Amino acid sequence: MLFQILEEPIDVKALIAGAFHPDCGAVASFIGTTRADESAGARVEYLEYEAYRPMADKKLEEIGEEIRERWEVGYVAIVHRTGRVDPGEPSVVIVVAAPRRGPAFEASRYAIERIKEIAPIWKREVWSDGYVWVGSQVGTRVSEKPVT
Amino acid sequence: MSNVKVLLFGAAADRAGTRQTKVPINHVATLGELWSALADQHPRLVPMRETLAFAVNGEYARMEDTVSPGDEVAVLPPVSGG
Repeated sequence: MLFQILEEPIDVKALIAGAFHPDCGAVASFIGTTRADESAGARVEYLEYEAYRPMADKKLEEIGEEIRERWEVGYVAIVHRTGRVDPGEPSVVIVVAAPRRGPAFEASRYAIERIKEIAPIWKREVWSDGYVWVGSQVGTRVSEKPVT
Repeated sequence: MSNVKVLLFGAAADRAGTRQTKVPINHVATLGELWSALADQHPRLVPMRETLAFAVNGEYARMEDTVSPGDEVAVLPPVSGG
């Protein structure tokens, strides 16, 4: 089991290879990558993530515990980035190994949904015309109406 | 009079203009009382109130939960990981 908040690029291949196990017949992964949205003639240049540590680390571990309570799994890894993440780069990687494929698929989906619910992690989209905190709509973009 | 350490994240840090502050409390207070004092210090947080969650010493807490001098309170805007 591996739960990590990481400031450096995530080594996706190593994480997936680390999940292979003779007792498991399936490894499912979910990889969230940053998307370069466009709107109002502007584009996302990069994303910046911040986390409340160590609470965020603890929440990733809790998600792992919830998965083990719900499904028969052999291995769970959840790694989330902080800091600047450029478009197309992984911001979160979830790898679940299980004896059978059903639990591996379901648990990896569950992990990303729970991260989005309970992990104290935030992303700021840095656009060519300003920035916005996703979820709060607070920021400096001229084309978006800021919260006042 | 003693302090509670308050950490602010994401949009809350942005609007408060700081990532960390101290809020003085006499003794044990509720999180709601602490919020009132924090809102006085940083009125630009007030419009976000309905969107905010709070943690005390690293765990989600409700407004009626208590905080004590020396505790760490975190102001958490809607999370947006992933």
